[in-house]
Amino acid sequence: MNRYEKASAGAVALMLLAAGAIFFYAPTDALQGPVQRIFYLHVSSAIAAYGCFAVVLLGGAVYLRNESLAADRLARAGAVVGLVFTTVTLVMGMIWAKPIWGTFWTWDARLTSTLVLWIIYAGYLLVRRLAEPGRQAARFAAVVGIFGFIDVPVVHFSVTWWRTQHPGPIIVNDALPPEMLATFLFTMACTLALAAVMIAIRYRLETLADGPMTEVAKVVAAVNAREAEPVQ
Amino acid sequence: MNNTIAVALAVARKDLRAEWRTRELVPALAQFVVLALVIANFGFQIDSRNAPMIAPGVLWMALVFAGLVAFGRTFAAEREQASLEAMLMTPASPVAIFAGKALAATLLLVGCEAVLLPALTLFFGVPLSAPIIAAVLLATIGMAALGCLFAAIVARVRARELLLPLLTLPLWIPFIVAGGQAVQVAMGASGTYDQALALLIDFDILFVVLTSLAARFVLDE
Amino acid sequence: MSILVANGLTHWFGSEVALESIDLTIDTGEHMAVLGENGAGKTTLLRILATAARPTSGRLEIMGLDALRERKRLRRRIGFVAHAPGLYPALSAAENLEFFCILQGVSRSRVTEALALVGAGEVASRPAGQLSRGMQQRLAIARAILHDPKLLVLDEPDASLGSDGAEVLAAVMRDRTVVLATHDHALANRLCQRTLVLRHGRSVGTATRLHIVQ
Repeated sequence: MNRYEKASAGAVALMLLAAGAIFFYAPTDALQGPVQRIFYLHVSSAIAAYGCFAVVLLGGAVYLRNESLAADRLARAGAVVGLVFTTVTLVMGMIWAKPIWGTFWTWDARLTSTLVLWIIYAGYLLVRRLAEPGRQAARFAAVVGIFGFIDVPVVHFSVTWWRTQHPGPIIVNDALPPEMLATFLFTMACTLALAAVMIAIRYRLETLADGPMTEVAKVVAAVNAREAEPVQ
Repeated sequence: MNNTIAVALAVARKDLRAEWRTRELVPALAQFVVLALVIANFGFQIDSRNAPMIAPGVLWMALVFAGLVAFGRTFAAEREQASLEAMLMTPASPVAIFAGKALAATLLLVGCEAVLLPALTLFFGVPLSAPIIAAVLLATIGMAALGCLFAAIVARVRARELLLPLLTLPLWIPFIVAGGQAVQVAMGASGTYDQALALLIDFDILFVVLTSLAARFVLDE
Repeated sequence: MSILVANGLTHWFGSEVALESIDLTIDTGEHMAVLGENGAGKTTLLRILATAARPTSGRLEIMGLDALRERKRLRRRIGFVAHAPGLYPALSAAENLEFFCILQGVSRSRVTEALALVGAGEVASRPAGQLSRGMQQRLAIARAILHDPKLLVLDEPDASLGSDGAEVLAAVMRDRTVVLATHDHALANRLCQRTLVLRHGRSVGTATRLHIVQ
């Protein structure tokens, strides 16, 4: 097994351990019942999603500074993995919301800013795909990433403020008994480990994808060169 | 520093002069917002009781769509791209050029707002007051900076009509939340106006500074 | 004295090669023509030499400065006429040039001089969008010399200039180092001392007073 396979196996094993903790160690919530267990993975996933975006921000900022291709690749990897985690967060949030609040969706600060994060990731990846590959795509994406990263907390803050003007559904109480807190922290650590492994794998994939294209291009150029004849 | 301001003003003057001579954008925007108001009336069943609650929403929606068009155009045309390159070949700083174009686009949108706000008052019977105008103008500043920055990105990319709203709207949300609240309060709803206005000013400062820093990465080759 | 030294200039568009390892040296005051079929890479090369674009790889030194790092400084002394004129159609010819005087930081008196040099004096107050293609081209050339650049890069400026086009170009090119892309072999021979021929992105050689037998 190469090191990526080992890392993946390790991450999966950790997640299985976390699942065990969630289902067998953590107590059932008195108020919400068994469905509350989604919370552990949902919040961990949300933190991982925003953490991935921090990777995107970092990669983008470093790229703008010194045009490091590795930084750009890291940003790319972070964006893809981040989009996955954001999707998971949103879906789990909706599954959790329905039995608790009676509705799949509500415009509170957290859901709104997670949705905004998802849209920004999607925009980021679209810009990468549609812009001229290379410097242009990297620079534009870096700018989008930086603005997006700053926008998410600003949106969160705006909606929170707006909610003080228009009180909405009461957000679930976050005070946690120690076993729940321990389970949550453990799950969060495992999820972050999973995210890191996924980013590393994605980074490797991006490196491989960058490489052969240059090789192909060189072969094409050589063939074209052989066809050109010198002028007398 | 002197030259930066001179360049920005020259760029803005050039864009405004071109628009004045062709009179393409502002009349089209004005017609668009009036039409939006007409449709809103049918879509929402607006009467004198619910008008103060619905009018702010209609105002911001019309403004957002008009803004997307106005800012999208600042960098869009092919010709624009060739001219932009000629401008970048000069010693003029990209930030100055960007500021000039954003300023011109802002003023054009303000021209559209000069039609939108009175029309809103006329059609929905909501009062037009200084607080409303102030809120709209403040929001326009920040929205313009962001809209123009992403328009500059999107201009060189395929599928730009799809991409501009996708990139810009998430960043406009804070402005719409704060601005919407300010306008609602000014039209009689509960809540604080001052806090909303302060938020708008904070957002303006934050995003104008950020876009100025980002402009040179987006404009230059 | 070499004003421009290029080593191994290479440019890719995605996976397509546009320029392959171009080496070039141009002396101060020299007029160099770049010939080649459409798609040979002339425009790409000229944009790189004018610092309007960065090559994917290679070195470029202009006036002793690294062209990839010192673009801002170099652009003060480089004039570029791109393929598309990029003028503002609603503004008059003079207004177009005055605008660029402000950007260049030069006095507005240059406008009348430049217009006279390219033979566009009579159309100074006409909207640029109403001018003929040839007149617009002259305007673009005038714009490129407002700041009196030492190096002038012209991408097919002769395309629609008209009968006295060669004279206009000669007047504009006097006392400057010039790189001129064109299809017109006769013009290249008349105006330029050396010619570089491009084919499929590669240099096929440079020659003096080239006579193409094709």
